[in-house]
Amino acid sequence: MTGWPRALRRGLALFPAFGILTGLFFVPIALLFAVSFWSVKSYRLVPGFSPDAYARTFSFYGPLFISTMLIAAAVALLCVTVGFVFAYGARFRSGRYGDLFILATMITLFGGYLVKIYSWKAILSANGILNSALIWLGLVDAPVTWFIFNRGAVIVALAHFLLPFAILPIYSALRNVPDITLEAARDLGASPWATLVRVVLPQCKAGLVAAFAICFLSAAGDYVTPMFLGGGSGIMLGQFIVSEFSTRFNWPVGAAMSFSLMGVSALVIAAVWLAIVGRRG
Amino acid sequence: MRIGSFAWPLVMGLLSAFLLGPLVLVAVFSFSSNALISFPMGELTLKWYRDLLANADFHAALTNSLAIALPVALISTVTGTLAAYAFAEWRTRLGLPLLALLGLPVLLPPLVIAISLVVLYVRWLGLPLGRPAVIGGHVLVTQPLVAAVIASRMASFDFTVLEAARDLGASRWQTFWKVTLPQMRAAIVGAALIAFALSLDEFIIAVFTIGGGNTISTFVWGKIKTTLDPSINAIATILLLMTIGLTLIALRLTRYRG
Repeated sequence: MTGWPRALRRGLALFPAFGILTGLFFVPIALLFAVSFWSVKSYRLVPGFSPDAYARTFSFYGPLFISTMLIAAAVALLCVTVGFVFAYGARFRSGRYGDLFILATMITLFGGYLVKIYSWKAILSANGILNSALIWLGLVDAPVTWFIFNRGAVIVALAHFLLPFAILPIYSALRNVPDITLEAARDLGASPWATLVRVVLPQCKAGLVAAFAICFLSAAGDYVTPMFLGGGSGIMLGQFIVSEFSTRFNWPVGAAMSFSLMGVSALVIAAVWLAIVGRRG
Repeated sequence: MRIGSFAWPLVMGLLSAFLLGPLVLVAVFSFSSNALISFPMGELTLKWYRDLLANADFHAALTNSLAIALPVALISTVTGTLAAYAFAEWRTRLGLPLLALLGLPVLLPPLVIAISLVVLYVRWLGLPLGRPAVIGGHVLVTQPLVAAVIASRMASFDFTVLEAARDLGASRWQTFWKVTLPQMRAAIVGAALIAFALSLDEFIIAVFTIGGGNTISTFVWGKIKTTLDPSINAIATILLLMTIGLTLIALRLTRYRG
């Protein structure tokens, strides 16, 4: 029995996964992109080619766009910095406990999206864990109200949710940094700081940028966290994509906002990539 | 002694507490008699778990979630494994870009995936929303993870064993069933468990495409929206035990690290 030609076998093996990818991702994303140029007349979608939805996105939601990007950038920077410290500690400074810290990261990663948001609400709210603990310990007399319903609460909760997504790529980049290069640097008289900046960081740049990209995109597109913890100052664009899309049935504007969000995020990530990895050397 | 020798354990301890703390608190307070999550803790009780088990809405949500997560795990394991097999045959040149392409839906915000699926289902296909709609969306985001786990196992796969089997007269089919599959079994089961756990926990695609009814995550959503209902702690703990338990087993099976 002669087997099927290799190319055919590969094609057949790829077909189910890429069929689903095409049918449920490329096609719907293309349709959503088309819808972003449509318009709405008396609650009915009118096909066409109009830039109105984009105009509304940037004129009406412009300031919100900027504050969403700032929140996402803060979250991503926080995750990359803290994630690097944690990954570095697990890789080089924890001996045989390193694997245990990575296990803790994995548990947090799979620990449930809504559960985490709910938990932060329970920790930060006026009658929550943090306030009741502070009062119980006699540190404050009345509940502190600024723990929740602001930008800070959103950043902390998003950073907690996304930290594992930063730790894991950075850790896997650090695993490829051989111990011997660190020893060589030390033997040649480099200070710990110089070793970090000139030996370790250059070898894990790509991992750092990957971590930044994942955290930035996820934070920028989130709407559940700001809804529960953001209050007035912590609102984000995602909440308005949902309201344009589901409650106002203005699909074109919801779609235009989605593509603007992804486009601007891609630009930010590309800029970070060029600044950090793009330079030669 | 340098300060460094104390600083690192302290930093790692504090950061681990930040990571795990919120999850541990939810689990601990699920056994507290207080209606509110606050200090000091009330007495130990199983009341919230008993309430939950008696709640018909919770049963319906759990049934829906299982009826979604099982097919998702099965389908994405088949499609993801087949794709990983094709990538492995291609070795490095085309395999990695194709894997990245397959992973694109995981990179984009789930909100965008969710609304694009609604546009497809409702406007173009005229299909009703419901379990099959959610299953489609979940397969889309779980199959790349299955493919990644299987592909990383295949990277250390000894392909000469397959040639040996063929030389000894086994057909391609026999080689697959008797040589390839047994070696890949642990990784495949592990990947399936991860897909199952992700589907159970997924909220955004589910809430947009389920139509009527609830999954566990949209059920939790409904409860969080109204108030800090203590039974959420119990549901959250059950959900945590299921997803973390499944993934720990999966990690052991696949020996996946980072």
